Amino acid sequence: MLLQRIFAAALLLACAGLALMAWPYQASFSYEPVGPRAYPLLMLGLMSLALIYMLFRPQPTKHTEEEPALDRATLIKIGICVALLIVFAATFESLGFILSSMLIGIPMARLYGGRWLPGAVIITLMSVGLYLLFDKAMDVPLPLGLLDVLEN
Amino acid sequence: MDTFGYLGQGFGVALSPYNLVTALCGTLIGTVVGLLPGLGPINGVALLIPIAFALGLPPESALILLAAVYLGCEYGGRISSILLNIPGEASTVMTTLDGYPMARKGLAGVALSLSAWSSFIGAFIATCGMVLFAPLLAKWAIAFGPAEYFVLMVFAIVCLGGMAGDKPLKTFVAALIGLFLSAVGIDANSGVYRFTGDNIHLTDGIQFVVLVLGLFSISEILLLLEKTHRGQEAVKATGRMMFNLKEASSVFVVNIRCGLLGFIMGVLPGAGATLASAVAYMTEKRLAGASGKFGQGDMRGLAAPETAIGASACGALVPMLTLGVPGSGTTAVMIGALSLYNITPGPLLFQQQPDIVWGLIASLFIANIMLVILNIPMIRIFTRILAVPNWALVPVIAIITAIGVYAVHATTFDLFLMIGIGIFGYILRKLDFPLSPVLLGFILGGLMEQNLRRALSISNGALEILWSSPITFGVWVLTAVMLLLPLARIYRKRALQRRAVADV
Repeated sequence: MLLQRIFAAALLLACAGLALMAWPYQASFSYEPVGPRAYPLLMLGLMSLALIYMLFRPQPTKHTEEEPALDRATLIKIGICVALLIVFAATFESLGFILSSMLIGIPMARLYGGRWLPGAVIITLMSVGLYLLFDKAMDVPLPLGLLDVLEN
Repeated sequence: MDTFGYLGQGFGVALSPYNLVTALCGTLIGTVVGLLPGLGPINGVALLIPIAFALGLPPESALILLAAVYLGCEYGGRISSILLNIPGEASTVMTTLDGYPMARKGLAGVALSLSAWSSFIGAFIATCGMVLFAPLLAKWAIAFGPAEYFVLMVFAIVCLGGMAGDKPLKTFVAALIGLFLSAVGIDANSGVYRFTGDNIHLTDGIQFVVLVLGLFSISEILLLLEKTHRGQEAVKATGRMMFNLKEASSVFVVNIRCGLLGFIMGVLPGAGATLASAVAYMTEKRLAGASGKFGQGDMRGLAAPETAIGASACGALVPMLTLGVPGSGTTAVMIGALSLYNITPGPLLFQQQPDIVWGLIASLFIANIMLVILNIPMIRIFTRILAVPNWALVPVIAIITAIGVYAVHATTFDLFLMIGIGIFGYILRKLDFPLSPVLLGFILGGLMEQNLRRALSISNGALEILWSSPITFGVWVLTAVMLLLPLARIYRKRALQRRAVADV
């Protein structure tokens, strides 16, 4: 309940901020009666109404058995996982697809309960295999990055 | 009847060797994707959009591929619900109720083939319905102006909330988030940059594939971190694989009934497969009365939701193809795919590109038949896939997701955006917000704004145009009914509670 209130309040603030951002949107010249500002403001307004209602009357949240309430350990894991994904995005082009997916794939396999060695073997095979499959066979261009030297 | 002529033409398109192979690949990929935890029909189809585009598939083949993947995913989800008692997605929850007990009784093979058969009948009924009604609706929809479209989309959004039942407010907020997100980017009418924060990558808005994969794949990856149980033993599929004639005829009436019901539910925007399967199961349970062994492996209990899911999946294509208004998460993804090919679904699609429409309809038939045939020899391989542990699976899903996102624009900005959206999606999920309304809102948002502005341009700013025509007025009345429905339900529940308290 408390989490939902915090979430509603945060989203409400975001709505207000976005509405402020949308306020100056005005077409320099226009032939139509409705400008670019009306629709976003309408949506933000409706959302704010719903969120204000939610602030005062939080809706029940159902938890299934499979998803236990968040504890510290899970939160840390989620933090690590997000960090790995961000590293992946940051190194995707500079290191190249194969190296960056190995870099994050192996710790990620560990994070989900695998052992180092089998994880390393599978992820290495998969990143090379996926590169060949997508870049060579399916024409989806992927960056080679540091491995560029191997290309020619 | 020129409808049948068109259908024949559609079969001509779908039966060409190239498209048959495409459909076969699609069903195989789809089944595997549906089997794996963390990937469902929505992100399965979304992942393939950029890839199909990169492969240079012609539009009708790409659509056939996506439709085949979609049906395959539904089928794969069925395997994990029957053998593992883990529903792959919300709509297959009802399948586990009787499917898993059947598998425990040693009828796993029968349960799988019977469910495939039921789904086939459902899809068959719905496709017949589509063949009959879609051209009529398309003809009628030509009379729709911008005002009518705007009101129709309002109706679709409200339907989502009204039908979702237990959490209308959350559904509504989720849909509004999607509706708002569609406004990011350059405004096509005036050239104003909206909410881009001077970021060049946001000028043409948030990419659809980025949104879908972030919301569904990344949030699922994070969710899989906290699942405590793992590596559940699958029930061995041994013994007889095929259902026999007696079993098929015993559920035939159920199939017909639930097929019709599923089709109607599928056509209604927002209702979708989840509701259709639940209603079908409950109806059949009530009809069977004391004679049924529902919940202990009754074949009717398996056939009912499966038929309804198959029928509603095809029924949902009716509003998408005729009106361009998606009724479910997956059809929203398909609209996203179509727009990549610069095809706008709507009434004119039936006249201008009959190849695509009827080819798609025909390939749904064919993909369904393929799935029934595939089921028997492949089931052992599919069950083996279920044993892949999470630690090997999740990094690979993350990597493939990144490839799918990168394939759209080849910028790392999209990867960061995807992660951000994924975290937001994870928070929404933890707070029990439904995610597919965000997607539907995102697709409908752009159309809604355009139609609203066009309508008001026609009337020169007078709001009356939004309710003056008989069609708009009628749809507003329906919208009001949909809004009142959840309120009435809450009121009735409260009244019941009060009576219960009074009795004590």
